[in-house]
Amino acid sequence: MTYVEALRLALRRLRTNLLRTALTTLGVIIGVASLVALIGVGEGTQAAITNQIAGLGTNLLSVNAGAATVGGVRGAAGSASTLTIADAGAIGSLDGVEAVAPEMSVSNVVVVNGRSNTTTSMTGTTPAEAQVRNYQVQAGTFLTDLDVEKGLRVAVLGPTTVTSLNTTPTAIIGQTVTVNGIPFTVIGVTQPKGGSGFTNPDDAVFAPITAVQSRFTGASSLRTIGVSLADPAQLAYVESEITALLRYRHQLATSASDDFSMVSQDQLLSVASTTTATIRNFLIGIAAIALVVGGIGIANTMLVSVRERVREIGTRKAIGARRRDISRQFLVEAVIVTLGGAVVGVLIGVAITGPVGATVGVPATPTLFGIILAFCSALLVGVLAGWWPARQASRLDPVEALRHE
Amino acid sequence: MADPTVVPTTPAQPPLIEGRGLTRIYPMGDSEVAALRGIDFRIELGENVAIIGPSGSGKSTLLHILGLLDRPTSGQYLFAGVDTDTLDDDRLALLRNRAIGFIFQSFNLVSGESALENVAAPLVYAGVKRKERVERAEEALARVGLTDRAHHDPSQLSGGQRQRVAIARALVTRPAVILADEPTGNLDSRSSADVFTLLQELQSEGLTLVTITHDQRIADRAARVLRVEDGMLVDHDAPEPTYLDDGRRLPEPTTAPATPPSGAVVVPPESGLAALGLADGDVS
Repeated sequence: MTYVEALRLALRRLRTNLLRTALTTLGVIIGVASLVALIGVGEGTQAAITNQIAGLGTNLLSVNAGAATVGGVRGAAGSASTLTIADAGAIGSLDGVEAVAPEMSVSNVVVVNGRSNTTTSMTGTTPAEAQVRNYQVQAGTFLTDLDVEKGLRVAVLGPTTVTSLNTTPTAIIGQTVTVNGIPFTVIGVTQPKGGSGFTNPDDAVFAPITAVQSRFTGASSLRTIGVSLADPAQLAYVESEITALLRYRHQLATSASDDFSMVSQDQLLSVASTTTATIRNFLIGIAAIALVVGGIGIANTMLVSVRERVREIGTRKAIGARRRDISRQFLVEAVIVTLGGAVVGVLIGVAITGPVGATVGVPATPTLFGIILAFCSALLVGVLAGWWPARQASRLDPVEALRHE
Repeated sequence: MADPTVVPTTPAQPPLIEGRGLTRIYPMGDSEVAALRGIDFRIELGENVAIIGPSGSGKSTLLHILGLLDRPTSGQYLFAGVDTDTLDDDRLALLRNRAIGFIFQSFNLVSGESALENVAAPLVYAGVKRKERVERAEEALARVGLTDRAHHDPSQLSGGQRQRVAIARALVTRPAVILADEPTGNLDSRSSADVFTLLQELQSEGLTLVTITHDQRIADRAARVLRVEDGMLVDHDAPEPTYLDDGRRLPEPTTAPATPPSGAVVVPPESGLAALGLADGDVS
């Protein structure tokens, strides 16, 4: 029997058992649809995180204040006050450094605009922040040197913060908001960068470092110093320069470890892509399990089908079917069910990728890779699921089979 | 041996079917059960043979061996002069497909497939193209008078109609022999008569017919009756009219015409497998 004949036979058979066919196929449909959707979401997550990190500024090197050790317990990075505004100034004069932005952070500030309020964090910095962290303003202006020099109470808000205050970027320019009760005049709103979570760059308040120092922190210690490089190829060189400079300035003994740390954007990117790849593979794994379960369902149905059709198998053998004709008939049937499920599953998967991505806040699109992978896996599952039942069927003894009630 | 008029062939041709000392022993747990205990017989092309015997006598086992569905435990079974012991399973399947037509007591049609598809099924395994399959299946259905039922599912047909579809399926490959296992066993008397008449007509057109039966009319019409008892043949090849258990005398054997009338079933008077329309390459 040719494969074409086996196909004809299988299609007739499946048509007469539509409900069972549909239910059997459901497992594969779910498996394939989730493979397509989750791969889409996984890739979308990866792209979003990569873009987000790239959007934070290219050629960026962050110098973080060291961890304080109190009573033998090492605290979080930045918990010690080891970086100063003067350090930032000194780094700015190093070779290969294009711009330096000292960053003084105040977390959990309450911003009030009329009847609306929101909680966010405030960054005291200089005009260089825009260049170093890659911010553009969509309305008004960013901080100016004059604002810093005079310690003016002006603020640039992130677009998410503006939305949280129930207003629009153009409407809020020139308005006065209070930050922890202290009035600031809004002079600009940054362009959205996209992002979410704890470090959303769009949910921020920027103010002159001098104003933040005098109104909030009172000290000159910085959490981070953002350094933008003239040439990314010089990263290692600039890192070693900064290390030497800060160790000298902090008067660290040779045996002492650094009281600061550095992380470059490249490192962040590679860490993030490793993390997201892990997440993606995890999602693919879950979907693959669904597909395998679907395959077991098909194998089970095929076995039942062989049981039910013992007499038919005996009859077919009597009229001249060889073993391979019988096994081909059942194998083709299993593969047809699986591929049918795969087609429907791909369509559903393509349709739900976007909505699934939206519910987890990621712009997800179905990928060709996901579709091809899902299809090939389904084909493999179908062949594996059909193989054993087909073999069982083909090995039936014709005399026994014909006697079967 | 049978009357020479029975066989429209030259004497040099081997018999269509020849069994030599056939036994079939089934293992049953620790012991063994002998279903056949040494059977010798010959059936020539065009013969009409009935196999009778009580239940459990081994006649079904014999038919399965004749039909190449089973192999004897010992002894030799020659089909068209070929020792079937030398043939592998695929070649046996090929012989079943091309040279043998089966008719079962319970019809064994595949439900979910139309009468036409059921009839055409053996041609699928024979590798016949779809168009020709349909033509030949329609021809076979016409022969059994069911042209108007071609697209019905077996479940929509009466018992007699189903058995006629099964006969059409057995005929469609133009086999040398039809093996029928209680063909009227599940039919009412009227359908029985139809099926019986049809089989006799086919036989008279030159087809070899071997029937296991309890139906006295079939046994009566058979040219020869093989009576199986306890795994052995009794009254085997009785040359003259013989008596049944009830003492009734068997009628004179009917003989096949020397020249088959033109019809679907024509057995050319060549020898061996070639006579069955099988090229040597197909089998050996």
